[in-house]
Amino acid sequence: MLRRFEVYALRPDAPAEGVRALEAACRDCGRFIPEVLDCAVGTNLSDAPVQIVWEHAYASPEAYRRYMVHPYHAVVLDRYLLPDSPERLVIDGPLGAGLYGYGCGAPSYRMRSGIRRLVLLRLEAGVPEAEVQRLGQALERVRPDAPGMVVSVFAPNTMGAAWFDGVTPVMGPPRWTHIWEQGFSSLDALDAYRHGGSALADVERVGWDEWMGGIVKRSAELFYAMTTTAAQESGE
Amino acid sequence: MMHLVDTVEVEPELVDEYLHVVATLAMAVMTDAGASFVSCATTSGEIGERVQVQVTWAFEDHEQWNEIRKNMVLDPRFHEYGRTAASLRVGGTRRFFTPATLPPP
Repeated sequence: MLRRFEVYALRPDAPAEGVRALEAACRDCGRFIPEVLDCAVGTNLSDAPVQIVWEHAYASPEAYRRYMVHPYHAVVLDRYLLPDSPERLVIDGPLGAGLYGYGCGAPSYRMRSGIRRLVLLRLEAGVPEAEVQRLGQALERVRPDAPGMVVSVFAPNTMGAAWFDGVTPVMGPPRWTHIWEQGFSSLDALDAYRHGGSALADVERVGWDEWMGGIVKRSAELFYAMTTTAAQESGE
Repeated sequence: MMHLVDTVEVEPELVDEYLHVVATLAMAVMTDAGASFVSCATTSGEIGERVQVQVTWAFEDHEQWNEIRKNMVLDPRFHEYGRTAASLRVGGTRRFFTPATLPPP
């Protein structure tokens, strides 16, 4: 599977009606392109200067390629996004390209509702793979001492460079080399984790510099309440 | 064959500058990426309204557009074109058109 996030920083003068249309276009994408799975949209609640996050997934690179050539992608989504479109609502993102994602064998990221948190990580260049795996195991093992965290997935940010076909990099390494995707049942659960006594919450509070040999050089976070089409229809 | 039609609104005093951007940056970026230039037309600048500038590009289908899109996004001039055009226009629309077959009269 391919897990994918698009993160948008809005033009300061973006009309509210247009922003709602962009959110709906992302949230409802799976209705028009069946290959687009697990669509949810959220308004970023962190301090990062971006406003909208669209999370979704594909069963395979082939499914992703069908999305790329689907008219809904070019006609509806890109209307609000491409730099030359007269209807563009976004600006170039301060967090890099604004596209992140990873490959996974199963949808372990999946949850129906709640709070999604993305921790974007930049690892030191040239870190041995064994060290990266050790970091991943530590991050994904966090849940026993953070009971409100219902999802914890760590993976290299492969989609940042391989955005054309989901596999082949078409540009240099991304600014954020890895993603730590989390899910919480509620904002209270996220707050409980952030202010709780787990070892990783402590690392996040103090800073990554001293942990695991300082291989995490930078980090940034986004979190948002997931809004899905199903939730909209049921009035949640 | 498909057409991409951008219709933008420009203040009358900025029309020449906008057309210059179309003739230089846009033409270079779009044609190098694989699109064909079809036409450029404007409404009158002498009627007390903002001027609409309509630019049409052609390509085969959405498969080819996906390649054109990739080439554009990877071209630094595309982002310069986007910034420059945005600074000159006050609004507009983007639509994709495919030919419609009409019944014989």
